[in-house]
Amino acid sequence: MTEHVRRFTPTQMLFHLGLIITFMILSVTGLAWMFIETAWGRLLASPFGGYQGALQVHKITGLVLLAGFAAHILYTLTRVTWKGFPKSLFGPDTLVFQWRDVKDFVRHLGWIVGLVKAPEFDRWSWWQKFDYWAVWWGLIIVGVTGLMLYNPVLSSQFMPGWMLNIALWVHRIEALLAMAHIFTIHFFIEHWRPRAFPFSATMFEGSNSLETMREEHPAWIARLEAEGRLDDALVQPAPLPLRILFFSTGYALIGLGVFLLVFAIINVGLLTLRL
Amino acid sequence: MSSRSTTGRRQRGLLPALLLAVLPVGVAPETWAADVLHPYEAASTGYFREQDTLPGSYHLYQTEQAGRFWGLGPGGSEVRRASFSSDAHVDVLGYTGRTCVSCHETERHSLHSSRGNVSCVQCHRGEPIAGIHHYYSPMNPIRRHAYVCAKCHQGASASFATYVIHEPPPLADSTRDEFALFHYAVWFMVILAVGIFAIFLPYVALWGMRELGGWARAKKSAGGPHDD
Repeated sequence: MTEHVRRFTPTQMLFHLGLIITFMILSVTGLAWMFIETAWGRLLASPFGGYQGALQVHKITGLVLLAGFAAHILYTLTRVTWKGFPKSLFGPDTLVFQWRDVKDFVRHLGWIVGLVKAPEFDRWSWWQKFDYWAVWWGLIIVGVTGLMLYNPVLSSQFMPGWMLNIALWVHRIEALLAMAHIFTIHFFIEHWRPRAFPFSATMFEGSNSLETMREEHPAWIARLEAEGRLDDALVQPAPLPLRILFFSTGYALIGLGVFLLVFAIINVGLLTLRL
Repeated sequence: MSSRSTTGRRQRGLLPALLLAVLPVGVAPETWAADVLHPYEAASTGYFREQDTLPGSYHLYQTEQAGRFWGLGPGGSEVRRASFSSDAHVDVLGYTGRTCVSCHETERHSLHSSRGNVSCVQCHRGEPIAGIHHYYSPMNPIRRHAYVCAKCHQGASASFATYVIHEPPPLADSTRDEFALFHYAVWFMVILAVGIFAIFLPYVALWGMRELGGWARAKKSAGGPHDD
């Protein structure tokens, strides 16, 4: 077994795991509510005791996710190097978009069409940063509109009731965008593209093999070596039973996502909701 | 109602309990009518203002609503003459024995009917059905919140009652005039969502093909892909 490089801390893995669990519950209950006119929607709602139960679980899970988001924001603040702020935000280890990411994007595109050599990514590639910040932007949109819709009688005391017409559609479209993005693009990039196929456990294990990291993040490994920090970053890969657990749980969730996406597309014509 | 499980009933009790825990206490204090800042943000006090009882005063509310947020709210749709009548269907030939949606086909679907199975007359009331602007109609904006919405939505305010039940299709051209902010906000979200996929789908498809090509070449030259 090859050696692994540590990439995520247990806290970061916990945030991702919490996000997966709440996101999946919200997806199932939200689609159940959106598709309640169809047999498929009622099937999704049935484990929650029908549509009212699904809606209540959706609301409560939404609050849990927002609480997790708040915790994550606080966590992020503790991770910022305040010495030398704001310049410290622009190092190679941060997730802040930098000029380098634009160049990497263009170069990556050039590599895809076969014009140039592949870019040498540092710790984070541009799509990893995009996926990270997409959660922020998505959560702000669904979070604000979700809170508006949580108790319409209360929220209409602070804004005209017709704002809820807008909030509901914005909430729906952002949620559909998030689900479709996760269940196609995110799964493809992290698990299905030939180099990662069939499953990348990095986010669950916290590490990936040195060899893979040399290929995918060569500038990061080179930097760790040059600074003499690589040896400290090396860890043992997870034992086999744990890797089997990651794989099977991961694929159960991937399967659930694909199931939701496929059946949502199949049933969308039966909805009376019209854009 | 009777067919629901006890779990359902238990869950319904859970939400108010949770709300009490989450929401600040005293969100809707008892207020003197004179201290109410704005009739639309205030919960209904049960008091009416002078113009509330005058025939035709609905337009004060319509103008007020349509003028809010730079005129981006609802209220731009045309107002029908029959909506001022005490019997909106008095001139309709062959009215007896027909269903509402046989004429009002486009009003068939709303969240209230498709999700809540609320029938037309539960809000628009029985015969003779008054136009929604008739000043004795329960649907008149001056009392709709109290006479109609609050039947199910306890504590509904006049602001709450401005929620558009029979929503126009958000992307339609006509909605730009009827409910501008709704139209623009939904268009913005649709462009955002479609834009993301228009960029990412071809991108990852080409990327996958590129890796597949590279993988095949590596297999040919080195005898196999990297062992991971």
